[in-house]
This record gives sequence, structure tokens and C-alpha cells, in this order.
Amino acid sequence: MSFPVYKHDKSTELFNRATKVIPSGIYGHLGPAEGQFIPVAKWPMFAEKAKGTYVWDVDGNKYIDYMCAYGPNVLGYCDPDVDAAAMKQIALGNCTTQPGKVMLECAELLVDTVNTADWAFFAKNGNDATQGAIMCARAYTHRKKVIMFHGYYHGVSPWCQKIDYPGVLPEDVANNIMLPWNDIPLLEKTIEENKNQIACIIAQPYDHGNFHDNAFPEKGFWQKVREICTKNDIVLIIDDVRAGFRLDLAGSDHYFGFEADLICFCKALANGYNMSAICGKDFLKNAMSSLAYTGSYWLSAVPFAACITNINKMKELDVPKMFKEKGEKLCNGLVKAGAEHGFNLIASGPAALFYLRIANDDSMLLHQEWIAEMVARGIFLASHHNHFINAALSDKDIKHTIDVAEEAFGIVAKNHPELFR
Amino acid sequence: MTDAKTLAYINMYAVLGAIENLCELDEKASELVKTKKPVSIGLEVKGGPSATLFFKNGRCRMEQGTQNCDVLLPFSTPEKFNAMVDGTGSALPSKGFSKIMFLLKKFIPLTDLLSKYLRATEEDLKDDKFFEISTKLMFYVITVALSQIGNNDEIGKFSASFIPDGIIDVSIKDCVGATIRVKDHHMVTIKQKPEAYRSQMEFDNIRLARDLFDGKVNSIACIGEGTIAMHGQINMIDNVNRILDRVALYLA
Repeated sequence: MSFPVYKHDKSTELFNRATKVIPSGIYGHLGPAEGQFIPVAKWPMFAEKAKGTYVWDVDGNKYIDYMCAYGPNVLGYCDPDVDAAAMKQIALGNCTTQPGKVMLECAELLVDTVNTADWAFFAKNGNDATQGAIMCARAYTHRKKVIMFHGYYHGVSPWCQKIDYPGVLPEDVANNIMLPWNDIPLLEKTIEENKNQIACIIAQPYDHGNFHDNAFPEKGFWQKVREICTKNDIVLIIDDVRAGFRLDLAGSDHYFGFEADLICFCKALANGYNMSAICGKDFLKNAMSSLAYTGSYWLSAVPFAACITNINKMKELDVPKMFKEKGEKLCNGLVKAGAEHGFNLIASGPAALFYLRIANDDSMLLHQEWIAEMVARGIFLASHHNHFINAALSDKDIKHTIDVAEEAFGIVAKNHPELFR
Repeated sequence: MTDAKTLAYINMYAVLGAIENLCELDEKASELVKTKKPVSIGLEVKGGPSATLFFKNGRCRMEQGTQNCDVLLPFSTPEKFNAMVDGTGSALPSKGFSKIMFLLKKFIPLTDLLSKYLRATEEDLKDDKFFEISTKLMFYVITVALSQIGNNDEIGKFSASFIPDGIIDVSIKDCVGATIRVKDHHMVTIKQKPEAYRSQMEFDNIRLARDLFDGKVNSIACIGEGTIAMHGQINMIDNVNRILDRVALYLA
């Protein structure tokens, strides 16, 4: 069977218009540069509509979307239950002078759901949550330094970017200490050398950095880090913005068997309605209260209504179990399809957030070629980033993805006879 | 945000190093330095770079060190060397007085010609041949400067610390190319296109490259438009681009 190859004439036309009035045309992770659209002609730029696990681009091409808007699509685009809750709330009021009572209901639900949560604080983006968590840790400890682990991504505030990024000052990152994963002796040495100066350790629950295979920390790593933080009065922050709820509804710290002091959520929180949250332990509540930290839309009611329905539905569906099963089925099929054509496709990280890499060469050229052939046939993947499973993904979608993968592997193999001589 | 020592490395290997290419690309430059006997000019910066330009049969090549030079121009500080390259300072040879005429009559006019290409006016660029030579020279200056910044500038070294080993191909399609070889986060630029690469950044045409060098177009938008193509280990390109930001700062 041969799958049609998509064209993107309207996308191209719109992108050319966009570059005239928007810096970069489409900036950030959804854009062609950061999104690694290689080669750009194979990729859609603008979406027309989305439903379930599918996105249709402005040229009318349909995709099974494994990027899920980089995570927010957890139940399926336009989930009827979440959208109904949001529409019901919008009729009552959204951005109002007094927050709706759904804010309280949402906080209570998070406290009931998230293992480490004694309270919940709301904002809009993941970056708001990580920024707020750092400020809370500094307010509580009266210390300034922050430890992070290699491959980190904690948002776009200047402090969590790097010294060589445009617009970032050396002073912005002067208090950051970057350490490798799994090196407990070095962590202890660093803390000793910076005695009473470390406010917090902030880390993703596992190494889900870009451009390399994703990896869980070594067994016992988190328990040791927890012990060290407690001993040294260092606040332990888990940035669960990306992985949150996909591994464990009680938080990824719970998944790995430890308790964070603060945990940051965003992407899977409200199925695309814009909100983020910091959940924390009781001893940090006063510090969080003390912050001058708010925003015009942070307490809007519609996302809270969406979040409540989303979390309840994730519980009903047991999405971590579901995502593991779907992800494993998909990854096993893709790896097998690759092997049949002589490709060593590696699927790393948890199946719910699988990361793919063809390991036949060290340049990613084959991998980028295969990904492009997949996207051109309606399977939206990324060559550099982990992917996301959503609850609307069906077995039929998975089978279709594997069928397309077989064809795409065949095309790449045919393009590279030198590999199989 | 910049330091004089890094600028001295850029001025030595990227700017004066471009004399090699100037003598290949411009017949006037080649004619200018044709002499009966080969001549070599050494430039030595205390606590900084040192290199020798060898002139022979109208061609030029640069080598590191000044052991075999006929004329030696010593500089007590990177700042004094940078001032000489910038045209705001001067230099006195410490050896090779017999070749002083080459220095005055050949080398200085040659560097003036290089400046004309590297600081081209809009009027100059209307001439297609001038445009092509000027843009190729800028390409070489920029690609060599990348490695100098990656090896010497504090923030550049930070960027280089994230570049994995391998070959980066930076090219203008069907025009010129450069190899940036990275090993243990040390960068070396070779002014020719590699046969194989681990990552590649290719500009679609020389006009686009010029507009990028002159800051007239946005590189991110160009990627979206497909006029800049990236392939392979993009984290190599990503960090090279961060150093590229600093090239503009140093060469401004």
C-alpha cells in the first residue's frame, strides 16, 4: 500500500505572510526552526482544526499528532467533556474581578490528587510555575543558588536560559549550578562548597532532554537527593511540566518513590486550556504567600473548570496505565518495522513520552529523513524531542502509524543503498 | 561583552587570514604581491596569537608561529595589534628591515584592499564581481572567527562546551563552503567544504548569505522559508549559531 504524500501550498503562503508581521513567522517550539522541520517543505505550518488525536492543516491534510501540542493534548483535542465544562463556565464568567469558586474546587482536587500537595498555586504557563517555585524556595531559605541537572529545560525566564542565549545577562544565570545526573558524590561536594547558599534543586523527574536518548535516573538516585536536600535545608523542586500526569496522576515524584517539596505542572493539566500550577508542602505555604507574583489571567475560571473535568476523566481512564500500554504497542511496532528494513530505531524514555532515534549513524541524518517521510504521509513526529500519547489514540491509529512507518523506512532504505551493501 | 585577546585571535586568523583568499579571488591582489623572491611577514602578539603570511608567486598562505618569517611585526598587547588591524594604530618591524619596502608598498595596500572588500559600500556592491569577492571573503572571515570565539571568548567557550565532536559543514550552496571540526569542544575552521559531515547549515544562495551577514534578513524566518537548510546533529548548529551571535559583536 502506498500512502499519499502531502503538499503544503497554503501553509507556505501563510508562513510568508506571517514573516512580515510576526518575528520569525512562527516563533518558539511550534515554529520550523526550533521545531526542526527538516526539510521544511515536508511540514505543515498552520492548523485548520483538531479533534481527538488528529490535526488537519490549512491544506486539508490530516495527521495523527504525536506531539500533542507538545503535551497539552492529553485526552484528545476538543474532548467533549472538558469542552462542555469550559463552555458551561464561560457562560457564568471567566476573567472576573473575583475568582470563581472553581478555583478553590480545582485546588482541592489537586491536593487530593497530587501526593506531595498540601496546597496549589495557579498561573498560566510552565515557566510561571518554575519561576514561582524558585522564588518560593529563595523566599523560604533566604539563599540564592540553584542546582539543575544537565539537559534541563525549565522554561524561558532569563534565569533558566543559558549565558550564551540572546538577551540573557551573565548576572541572570550567575547563581545557577549545572551538574550531571546520577553523580551523588559531586552533588554532595557542590553543596559542601556552597554551604548555606543553595536555595533549591530543580529537576525534571528524568532526563527528557532533546537530541539524546531519554533516560531514567539510576535506582536510588532520587531517594538520595531527597535525603541530601532534607539534611541541608534545600528545597527539592520537581519540574513535572512535561511529564506530569502521564506517568502518575499523583505526580512523577510519586512514580519514582520520593516526595518533592514543590512540584510544577502545566501541559496535561487542563487538556489545552491555559493554566499551570505549583503544588507544595505545608511548610512552604507562607513563603509562597509572601511572593509578589500574579497575572491578569492567572485566576480565570474557564481553565479551572476544564482542569477539574480533565483530572477526573484522567482518573476514570487511568491514563498512566493506558498511555504505557498504547506507547509500548506503538514503539514495539515502530522498532520492528525499522528492523525489517535494516534500521536500528531506538525508543527511549517512558512509553507515554517516547523518544525516537535511528542509531545507524551518529548524524541524525537518516532519522530526520525518516521523520520527514512520516510527516509527509500524515504521521506528525519530531526528530529532536520526545513525543506524547493521548487518550484518543486508538489501536487503529497505532496500526496505521506502523503501516506508514514501514513505507517510510522502505523509502529511506531505498535512498541509501550504501547502507545495506 | 568582548575581550581584546579574543579579538586579536579573530583579527589574526580570520581577518588577516583572509588575505590568503583575497590573493586567490582578486587578480589585482595577486599581482600586487608578486615578487621575484618569496617574502614572509610574521605578526606576534604578546600573550596572544602569532602567525606568518608567506607570499610566493602572487599567492599567500598563513601558518601559525613566526619562526620562519622575513619581517617580524611584534605587538606588546592584543589592544595594540587590534588597533593596527583597525587602522588606528601602527607597527614597527623588529627584524627584516631590508623588506620594509614590501611592507610599505605591497602589504599595506593589500590590507587596504581587504578592508575595501570587508567594509564594502552599497555602491561598491553594485558591481557583481566585487559583490561576489566581498561576500566570499566575509564568509571566510565569519567561519574562521567562529572557531576563534569558540576557543577563546568566555561565553563562546561555554557554547562550544555543548558541541559534540564531529564535522560541521557551513556552506553557501554552489558557491563556497567551510569545515568546522570539533574535537573535545575545541574548534578548527578549514576553509573548504567537507566531504562528509555530522551537521550542516547551508545558505541557499550568495545574495541571501550577504543579506544575513549584513543583518538585513532574519535567519529563523529563513529556516521557515527554506532558504537556510539545517541537517544532522542540530545541537551542533544550534550552539554554532550562538557563537555566530558573538561574531557579529566582535566584527561590528
